[in-house]
Amino acid sequence: MTDATRETYFISDDDLRALAGDLLSAGTEVIAPVAVDVCASPSAIASSACLRPGVAPVDIEYRALADAAELDLSRGLPVLSLKQYFLPGHEALCCWRQHGTEVEIEAVPTTFAPRVVLAAKSCDSAALAIVDKVMNWDYQDELWNGRREATTIVNLACPVVDESCFCTAVGTAPDDVKGADALLTPVEGGYLMEATTDKGRVLMEAHGARFKAETDTHGAKHRGRQAAEERAAARARVAANLEIDAESVREWIDAHFEDPLLAALGVRCNGCGACSSVCPTCHCFDIVDEEEGIGKGTRRRCWDTCQAPTFTLHASGHNPRDDQHSRYRQRINHKFAIYPLKFGEVLCTGCGRCTRACHAGQDLVEILQAIDIAARRPDAAAAAVAGAEPAGS
Amino acid sequence: MNIYQPQLALVTALTDETHDTRTLRLEFEDEALRDSFDFHAGQFGEYSVFGAGESTFCIASAPTRKGFIECSFKAVGKVTSALREVNVGDTVGFRGPYGNWFPVDEWKGKDVVFIAGGIGLAPVRCVIWNVLDRREEFGDVTIVYGARSVDDLVYKRELEEWASRSDVKIVTTVDPGGETKDWTGEVGYVTPVVEATAPMAQNAVAVLCGPPIVVKLTLPVLDKLGFADEAIFTTLENRMKCGLGKCGRCNIGPVYVCKDGPVFTAAQLKELPAEF
Amino acid sequence: MSEVREVARKLLTDGTVRVIVGWEDARRGARPVFVTDPADTERLIFDTRCVHNLVTYLNPRRDNVAELGKIGLVVKGCDAKAVAGLLREAQLTRDDVVLIGVRCGGVLEEAELPKAASLSPENVAPRCYGCDNREPELVDHLLGESQPEPPRPVMTIDERVAALDAQPLEERWAFWTEQFSKCVRCYACRQVCPLCVCERCVAEKSRPQWIEAPPHPRGNLSWNITRALHLAGRCVDCGECERFCPVGIPLSLVNRKLQHIVAERYGYTVSDDPESPAPIGDYRLDDKQEFIK
Repeated sequence: MTDATRETYFISDDDLRALAGDLLSAGTEVIAPVAVDVCASPSAIASSACLRPGVAPVDIEYRALADAAELDLSRGLPVLSLKQYFLPGHEALCCWRQHGTEVEIEAVPTTFAPRVVLAAKSCDSAALAIVDKVMNWDYQDELWNGRREATTIVNLACPVVDESCFCTAVGTAPDDVKGADALLTPVEGGYLMEATTDKGRVLMEAHGARFKAETDTHGAKHRGRQAAEERAAARARVAANLEIDAESVREWIDAHFEDPLLAALGVRCNGCGACSSVCPTCHCFDIVDEEEGIGKGTRRRCWDTCQAPTFTLHASGHNPRDDQHSRYRQRINHKFAIYPLKFGEVLCTGCGRCTRACHAGQDLVEILQAIDIAARRPDAAAAAVAGAEPAGS
Repeated sequence: MNIYQPQLALVTALTDETHDTRTLRLEFEDEALRDSFDFHAGQFGEYSVFGAGESTFCIASAPTRKGFIECSFKAVGKVTSALREVNVGDTVGFRGPYGNWFPVDEWKGKDVVFIAGGIGLAPVRCVIWNVLDRREEFGDVTIVYGARSVDDLVYKRELEEWASRSDVKIVTTVDPGGETKDWTGEVGYVTPVVEATAPMAQNAVAVLCGPPIVVKLTLPVLDKLGFADEAIFTTLENRMKCGLGKCGRCNIGPVYVCKDGPVFTAAQLKELPAEF
Repeated sequence: MSEVREVARKLLTDGTVRVIVGWEDARRGARPVFVTDPADTERLIFDTRCVHNLVTYLNPRRDNVAELGKIGLVVKGCDAKAVAGLLREAQLTRDDVVLIGVRCGGVLEEAELPKAASLSPENVAPRCYGCDNREPELVDHLLGESQPEPPRPVMTIDERVAALDAQPLEERWAFWTEQFSKCVRCYACRQVCPLCVCERCVAEKSRPQWIEAPPHPRGNLSWNITRALHLAGRCVDCGECERFCPVGIPLSLVNRKLQHIVAERYGYTVSDDPESPAPIGDYRLDDKQEFIK
């Protein structure tokens, strides 16, 4: 559907919550941002944030709503991305039962009940569309695809979280609908909502009473302008954080495997893998068997990270990536060169979570900036390198 | 179909190749699959012992031998150690075949030189039998195989069988100090033995598999003998989990060993970063 | 601050060390920096945002730091305790490193701030309260002026531990179950810990599989308990595990509770004296053993 044929509807704040309620009463799972009060007793003891007056002590998390009132529309960034609902931290691939020498395999379901994600971040929905590519590279990952097909995703235009956001630098935007089925944009008194896929239209039609068509009235025009301004302002805000030429970056990485800018990034990196956990596009996994009692068990996959030395360790003890420099380079290489080369897309949506999660100061904005300068303005590169690399190396 | 769900296979034979290397013969439980299962020389699979997990090895039997597959492995890790414990009659899991293969069909009319070190003979054995089962399609067949010691030579029965054939030239060697009193083969590392054997490079291809050091040292020798990089084939064995291009751990730069490999020419290897 | 730069420059220039590990001011706030060129010592800072325990870079697992050459490390008093821990456990010899101590009056909870802030009960890292190593003896240079005592936080870690201890068993169980359920098993807590020195962590051992890899409640509980116990009497309370945890598990409460237990049962408090043997490596005939039944 092109922009011209998109139909926009107005939904009030109350109706949006009511829509979530309707879905829940119909038994549909609704995943949405929830502001988790980290100061709820006895958790208050857990967080010193609760002891700071004037600081809103909440974590925003994507959760399956128990009640429509939980829906948080503050547009903050959830701690973990939507990835967990498509590639869970751990999931069964199959189960087995052993009877003597015989083995019986129990398949796991690969179809899932329909569910709706409300108020998703565009960087999170776009990540799903990007990861779709590898999950369907010749072999179809039915667990991933099953969840994708069962889910209708409604994005909420993002106001841009902070200086670590850079979605526009990697081909998406705060109001993008990539990977999503509809978009909400906040306006006075509620939201403008437009469906961009059939799934989105089906959702809106099924809850038609909650929407008002934006006909050619003064109010509608005003709201339309307001939404357009809001979205344009957010785009401009995030574009100011970082601007790179993804194709030049890809080519440069491809041709500079041993360049210190790429090959010496691991000094301050702790190899903790927090970046992979919070990343919406990091999809690498491990497969492990777990016995559950005698003669039965489950084969599971769980998140893994290229930042861990064990990731590539051979049983013989040989490790092709045996230092943190090579492991960090792999992260950058995979996201900005290998994936684009194989699948035509950068494996990053600029959500900035890795940068925020890194308390050792690995800063993807700074690293990409330095690579982009090296790629497009080699003369200026030397100056930028100083920031991304440990000094003097 | 869930691509991660293995097929069940019955262990129908086991052979101890050395003190730590064993070959298992597997037959699929599913009769239709047993008949229809097909693969190419060089492809690999994910073999599993339920409770221990999955491990990756090539299919060591030849695609021209139907009804079963074989794998040879060294018991070094958790899964291979568990696989070492299975007996004839036990059930294991298998997913595959995965990956690319040796372009055997393109070698018709050419001489084929096989060079292997240690357990590197497993992927090569598959191609050897594939070629021998279609012997008339190829020129001279030369095999150079070496191991650390006489005890470390795998497929000993087959080495004898190949040696007894008049249409195969085979040279076996063991590292200095690894020979026994009645050893009649060569004594020396694989690389100089290849050089001494000096197979003709003209209208020939070479298949080279073994520990990274053997591959690394033998490549220049093949170059010296006149083999073009495009005529030298090898397999890579980066760590894998899924075998399907999803789990993200076997890549070497932009190349996924599980999907773009495991068979590579020396020309392709030279293009890759040294992360293998 | 100028003293730190001066000493660092001298150590690099005369070849005493090859790299200074300290803090710098970057786009998102303070962060570790590795200075090898004397001219770059201008980048070094020390202020209330210098939260990081840089001793983690002395950890024998950090090959990319070691390859830079002999290290001059800037440490706060609390950090010096971690150096002592590595010395105590023979992971390091004293000659391997030059320690540039800085007198510290406490740090903020967060390093990622555009500017240093003065400390208040609301923003001080709670672990700073009651600091007992403000004049570290282990260091080669002790720089800076004498600092005031860190402010008392709105609620101290001890008070939080006590509040938790006051809950009935079921409540505590529910609390920790909820906290550990958040764990995604990235092992950031282990990776940043200056004292997690094992070449191969128990979590990575597969024969037998002591700790299940998937982040389900069983696996998470066994990992988190094992991590805590392996650090009992060794943890220097630098709080890096909690700060790096991407899902906000309050690990400092676990660590502090274990410190209390170690203090009570073995009369031992972690110090920056590398000669004082930690209970984990020190058998005494009068060790309590009533738990053996």
